[in-house]
Amino acid sequence: MADIGKIKKKLRKAGYAGIEVSEYNGGVRLTGEAEKYEDVLECGSLAVTKNSRGVINDVKVKGSKPLKIRVSEIEDDKYDGKSPDVLVIGGGIVGAAIARELTKYALSVVLVEKEYDIATGQSARNDGMIHAGIDLKPASNKVKYNCRGNAMYPRLSKELDVPIEMCGQCVLYTARWQKILFPLIKLRGAKNGIPVEKLNAEGVKKYIRDPGIKYGGFMCPSAGILSPYLMTVALAENAAKNGAEIYTDTAVTGIVNDGEKITAVRTNRGTFYPKAVVNAAGVYSDVIAEWAGDRHFTIHPRRGVEAVLDKKARKATSTVIGKFVIKSSTGKGHTKGGGVIVTIDGNLILGPSASETEERENEATTAKEFDEVFLKQQKLAPELKRSDVITYFAGTRAATYEEEFVVEKSPVIKNFVQAAGIQSPGVTAAPAIAEDVAKWAAEIVFGGGLKMNENFDPIRKGIPRPAEMEPEARKKLIEENPDYGVVVCRCEEVTKGEIKEALRRPAAVAAVDAVKRRVRAGMGRCQGGFCTPLVMKIISEECGIPLNEVRKKGTGSEIAPRRTKGGER
Amino acid sequence: MRYAAIVIGGGPAGMAAACAVKESEKVLIIEREARLGGILKQCVHDGFGVIRFGEKLSGPEYADRFIEEVYARKNIDVKVLTFVTSIEKENGYYRVSTTSGAGIETHEGENLILANGCRERTARQVNIHGTRPAGLMTAGTAQNLVNLLGVNPAKRCVILGSGDIGLIMARRLTLEGSQVLGVYEAKSSPSGLQRNLQQCLYDFGIPLHLKKTVTLVHGRDRVEGVTVADVDDGMLPIAGTEEYIPCDALIVSVGLIPENELAEKLGVAMDAKTKGPIVDQYMMTTLDGVYSVGNALHVHDLVDYVSEVSETAGKDVGRRKERATIEVLSRGLGYIVPQRIDVKNLEEKTTYYFRTARETGKAKLTVTVNGVEIYSKKYSALRPPEAERVSIKHLLKAGDELKFVLEEDDGGKA
Repeated sequence: MADIGKIKKKLRKAGYAGIEVSEYNGGVRLTGEAEKYEDVLECGSLAVTKNSRGVINDVKVKGSKPLKIRVSEIEDDKYDGKSPDVLVIGGGIVGAAIARELTKYALSVVLVEKEYDIATGQSARNDGMIHAGIDLKPASNKVKYNCRGNAMYPRLSKELDVPIEMCGQCVLYTARWQKILFPLIKLRGAKNGIPVEKLNAEGVKKYIRDPGIKYGGFMCPSAGILSPYLMTVALAENAAKNGAEIYTDTAVTGIVNDGEKITAVRTNRGTFYPKAVVNAAGVYSDVIAEWAGDRHFTIHPRRGVEAVLDKKARKATSTVIGKFVIKSSTGKGHTKGGGVIVTIDGNLILGPSASETEERENEATTAKEFDEVFLKQQKLAPELKRSDVITYFAGTRAATYEEEFVVEKSPVIKNFVQAAGIQSPGVTAAPAIAEDVAKWAAEIVFGGGLKMNENFDPIRKGIPRPAEMEPEARKKLIEENPDYGVVVCRCEEVTKGEIKEALRRPAAVAAVDAVKRRVRAGMGRCQGGFCTPLVMKIISEECGIPLNEVRKKGTGSEIAPRRTKGGER
Repeated sequence: MRYAAIVIGGGPAGMAAACAVKESEKVLIIEREARLGGILKQCVHDGFGVIRFGEKLSGPEYADRFIEEVYARKNIDVKVLTFVTSIEKENGYYRVSTTSGAGIETHEGENLILANGCRERTARQVNIHGTRPAGLMTAGTAQNLVNLLGVNPAKRCVILGSGDIGLIMARRLTLEGSQVLGVYEAKSSPSGLQRNLQQCLYDFGIPLHLKKTVTLVHGRDRVEGVTVADVDDGMLPIAGTEEYIPCDALIVSVGLIPENELAEKLGVAMDAKTKGPIVDQYMMTTLDGVYSVGNALHVHDLVDYVSEVSETAGKDVGRRKERATIEVLSRGLGYIVPQRIDVKNLEEKTTYYFRTARETGKAKLTVTVNGVEIYSKKYSALRPPEAERVSIKHLLKAGDELKFVLEEDDGGKA
């Protein structure tokens, strides 16, 4: 057990004498008040020790408001009394992957997501890298699941018809002397089976047209890219096809446990009585853990801002570009420093930044953050211009003080499994995490021998993408369904057929942004300027929703809520 | 069958170009939307056609005059809801591939007229930060929603940008019962036409705030407010001047960008100032047989001029064989179109469109050939938002230096 006295001493030395330190649930709990949020963070970091389950940082900033979770306005009892075998909390890529894995067993599965759609948090606000893992701390959960997940993606891509590209990552040295470290980098990679290849300054140019740093570097060929939100949607669709139920706009508001196990889970849409509960709640995973009765970690949200560049800029590089960061390579840093990321759809992404925040769901960008990200990453490929930027976004990582994934069958609450504190490389790790978590949850439900779902079908067909088809196949598709010939989003060449299909899929959501994540309508250089009204019309017709009730996102986001004076009625 | 010309885009530019082609030549118009008319379809306000028809028409009325002619002409084929997926240059002609509900087709044309218009710059492309909720949209999108779909995006809105569409929407939304709290413009002078400022803002008492911009959008699902701030001479927000304005929509009208992805793929040389192709006086680009017209060429203030320019291109189809071009040089201009002149095929007069680089008082345009003045014109004032048109008679030959110089009259010193 952690030495509480030692931590107290450390805190006192750093000027935090007023902070109470106690042992709690196998972890170290901090309570008290701090002047500012930076102090809260510092206390949390100081309390990290090897021999504890984690830091439970309950230090509050003086006068701060209590945590408020954004919950859908809907309140009904639509799902009241449901008793699935397993309830998965959270519809990000981790939750969706777990739900799908669970359907491989003979189990009834419900996934609840508090937002209007799956994949709206970290899984959408993400650059979509399949990480090689070279920069991760050896022997960590992160590196273990990252490498396993990385190896699973080619098969998953085939099964779910979601494109991936193993384009590799080029890591540039920032100083000439760093090349002497290559043998160490190679050795470190070998420990986790991660291949690396030496690149001299000339070799870099094979991938990057005009690199901004010219000291050479190394290539991680096992790095790749995918659309993280499309993968999440595909996982959820396949889970649904195999019997899982996906409930969006459904937020957990409380969990009842009897000290040994969870007996009920309350939501805004009724109370569930599951046999087992999985925590995949992202930035709120510590809150769910607390309610479930086994909290031993704390999420301290870390913001990231990323900029999306026009497809015209993609010619600058064929590979992901990163910068060699010694700190992260020695396992001490918490971020990989971002980079220039090629995307599966042909854009480039610059970022992400990293800054601590108290706000778990603040997705607003600031000019300052954007400028920093742009100027920093532009150095890697100086030909990139500000005028190439078509949009930018912010997201929040679910970081713990240990900077480690919490993937475990709870030793305290018998029917509770956690996939918590999942931040980067969460997308890469998700399929591997899901395998373990689903197995543990199945063991809870079945007790002894696991019963498999004989009818599990791993195959999900993607929505046809005429723009990427050979002419003959495209012709045939349009003959079968003329809607696939009619282009609605001109920038991304998305057809009416694709949009209609996106609205008919399992786990479909009738909202413009939900359509956008599934088929890319509105993701191009005009950012939906031309296609938004057209997509609204298709949603209205296809889903029987009056035009003025068509939403961009969740409840309250009607795009044009009122009829005009002479408007059609 | 091979068309004499394939026109890409069935808006005012494409229709005017098609109608100007000799009736003995076959023309194909390819339009991606369901109806011809382009953006005019949603421009229900009046003021179109004053120069061309001598009367004030609404956008749809102006479009209708051309639509009727297009369908009356036996040499013009029209394909709507048809989208160009690629263009290939073959030996002496162009092969245009399209997709539509009818399938994948290819069409051959000896000439191409690119009339695919422009798109709006978005909030994020002018450095607006914060969230991306419902209620944040471009003026053109708002116009489409109100005028074509019959739904209104705003109760209380802020408009950023004093471009013409922004001004038109300020009036349109006011007429729909929405409250327009103000039009904010980062520049020190408004971007729209004078007549729109009067008729759309001043007549309705809508305040115009110059040297102010929107910096942040607030609200997650729906716009809840915006932060506005004063800007310095470099148009950057000045810290400490921020003001929060509660509203439920932010309509941005911050500039138009010619759509030239097809032209760029073909390898047409572009003008960094107009963001459209470099053309000669017949609107032919640097690629033989490829013309650029309308707002894809450069953003016009008046549709009347769009029609005129496009007709020049249409008339030229199949007429010239040999060309010899010289460059049009300029100083003091924001831009000038055409950027080069085919001296082998000069007509009696050549028409130029230009914008001043900056707002001026009294100014003089001087045109010289090899240093000798051949034309001059005085202006009492010039503003970048208002394009000027001059028709000049000149004799030119290969190797001549043709130069346009705009100088502000500062008491004879210039």
